[in-house]
Amino acid sequence: MSSKINSEVSSFFGKMLVVDLTSGKIKDKQLPREWVDLYTGQKGLGSRILMEDFDVETDPLSPDNRIILTTGIMTGTIVSCSAKLAMTTKSPQTGTISDGSVGGHIGAELKYAGYDAVMITGKAPELSYLHIDPDTREIHSIPEFKGLGTFDTEDKLKVLTGDDKLKVLAIGPGGENLVPFSCVSSERYRQLGRGGMGAVMGSKNLKAITIRGWLDVAVADIKKCMKISMAAHIKDGVIDPENEIYTLGTSCLVDYSQESGLLPTRNFSEGRFPEYQNINGESFKTVRLNKKACFSCGIACGNYVKDGDAVVEGPEFETIALCGSSIGVGSRADIIRMNAVCDDLGIDTISAGGTIAYMMEATEKGLHNFGIHFGEAEKAYKYMEDISFRRGIGEEASRGSKWLAEKYGGDDYAINVKGMELPGYDPRGSWGMGIAYVSAPRGGCHLTAYPVGEEAWGTLDPFTFEGKGKLVADMQNSQFVKFSMGVCDFWPIDDATIGSLYEVTVGGEWPAEKVYTVGERIFNLQRMFNVMLGFDRREDTLPGRFYKEILKEGPPKDHAMTKEAFDNAMNEYYSYRGWDDIGRPTIEKLKSLGIEEKLISAYAEKLGF
Amino acid sequence: MPLRFRLSDCTGCKLCQLACSAVHDGVFNPEKARLKMTHEYNSNGIKIRSSHCIMCGKCEETCTTGGIKSNGRWMVVENDKCTGCEACVEVCPTNILYLDAENNPIICDLCDGDPECIKWCPKDVITLWEKEPKK
Repeated sequence: MSSKINSEVSSFFGKMLVVDLTSGKIKDKQLPREWVDLYTGQKGLGSRILMEDFDVETDPLSPDNRIILTTGIMTGTIVSCSAKLAMTTKSPQTGTISDGSVGGHIGAELKYAGYDAVMITGKAPELSYLHIDPDTREIHSIPEFKGLGTFDTEDKLKVLTGDDKLKVLAIGPGGENLVPFSCVSSERYRQLGRGGMGAVMGSKNLKAITIRGWLDVAVADIKKCMKISMAAHIKDGVIDPENEIYTLGTSCLVDYSQESGLLPTRNFSEGRFPEYQNINGESFKTVRLNKKACFSCGIACGNYVKDGDAVVEGPEFETIALCGSSIGVGSRADIIRMNAVCDDLGIDTISAGGTIAYMMEATEKGLHNFGIHFGEAEKAYKYMEDISFRRGIGEEASRGSKWLAEKYGGDDYAINVKGMELPGYDPRGSWGMGIAYVSAPRGGCHLTAYPVGEEAWGTLDPFTFEGKGKLVADMQNSQFVKFSMGVCDFWPIDDATIGSLYEVTVGGEWPAEKVYTVGERIFNLQRMFNVMLGFDRREDTLPGRFYKEILKEGPPKDHAMTKEAFDNAMNEYYSYRGWDDIGRPTIEKLKSLGIEEKLISAYAEKLGF
Repeated sequence: MPLRFRLSDCTGCKLCQLACSAVHDGVFNPEKARLKMTHEYNSNGIKIRSSHCIMCGKCEETCTTGGIKSNGRWMVVENDKCTGCEACVEVCPTNILYLDAENNPIICDLCDGDPECIKWCPKDVITLWEKEPKK
């Protein structure tokens, strides 16, 4: 083993597979080394590849839209939690740039197949799958797979190819039927959940992507890579047996959210759910069969559970909140069943739950009779099936809460940002989350920043916007580089450790400040995409409910989050980011971040700057 | 002195396989590891299997040139004596023994008695079986 940094060896291969489904042409392409230095991997690299000579006005469901798969910089190495695979595209749900990441083993498999990235365009003549391994890259027609759920698709592809080690990304009927919040599943229970990635695959007649790999991943200094990794795993609690993400998984957040009065209940009309103990971490633990980790992950957040006949790996906190408390369902088995049907039919549990919660409230408030009330789990399950097949009530419901509210009214109760339904944290219990939701490039998302951890469960005052613009922006920058390195959200890694791991895997010198700047650069890159489409301050808003209604229980009681205070907070946020007062990055800011001149010129031209 | 696994606690992260390939081959490649863990979902739980050298001695018995011998703790391969006939690969009951690109048999050497996989397992699934192996 080498003890010196070898700049010739790197965990970044610089290799992308380019697939045109229309013509069937497949070729390898070299990625510029400059891109990985500027944007690293995964989220950052995916965004950069998407934006290369791409018309941002492209219809998300047209053949010209691109699906970009990118591994993390350290994917395939021993660095814990580093194997997530990103998909980046223009979202049919929000119309914005959108990226998501999936765990499991498929990210590592792509790396071992010899690729950092895959770009897919066009539309196959009939339902097909793309296979990638070190020896073969092929498109195969599978019209007989039409209508299959993701579980069967995965099983049948393994039988068809005779390879049970195959790793699969698959869509279900939701994606085939172009549901704007359809997801992509992998290894049964892991999803690219948000933004309608499934519909983008469906629009390309791409039922699945299968990957196998067996090539080596070498790094700049393997001895140091192992030493730094082991030390960081211990220091940051990755392998701590008491880590709650391991002992309970994300379902541990039910108790925290309940205590803090921000657990979405009955479509965010309340922040505490009386039956929360039926659906909290301890409850799901009693029906757990196994723990499960993603590739190279020392934590193992996954829980394989069975309650009666209902089986799923999960449910994650967001699913419990949106398909449980927010639709008034306090039954463990019902949540497991809804989780499994969404995974199998290929729709996002958060948007499905959020949309159904709107329908329940609209029915109860007499806005429109959608035929469903809070607490009706069986009917909600059936609506999820109908949404996936776009039949009956599902035809309209599949369009999401924002569309429904535009038609039937009750805009205040369509709990979404930019058309994407909100996850499981009521921003009235953690005001910083409000800023995080509206400024997330892909719409109502909790992953770009997580101030709730510092506010509701930490030392900061949750009920003030003072300093929160800066807090959220800093968190977003760090999250964006962390995700771009391919590291999972559940490792609380700092910029200095990211930098030292970058040095021993890819090479080069990476002090913490340089790492932070990469995150800020990628965040601005994604904002540029959206601003070029006309997105600005006008879309950075929360549903009216959060300004007009005050939560009645727990810590948020009596704290009014006014629109005026929120607007002032956004002023602070834009100003700290170096954006103009309607939230557009300035040319000076983009230049100072080192974003390439080519991209800045296109941006300036589009905006008439 | 084979490795022993508390399979019910294995989460399938493959850090053991990554550590194994790193120390033996200087690269990360779980396919090259001298132990392999597999996970398969079924409705009664995840079926977890380990594939590793159990010191059964069948490769030693089968090898016609004396190229594989037990030192009492692990199997020792003498590459010079290997003809690449693959008899050891075929007889291995756990399917873990394989020939590398140079046709040399690859089998667990317990990292000279201090296995790296044990150090990297985050859930302490792997230990050393201190009992004398069956002959």
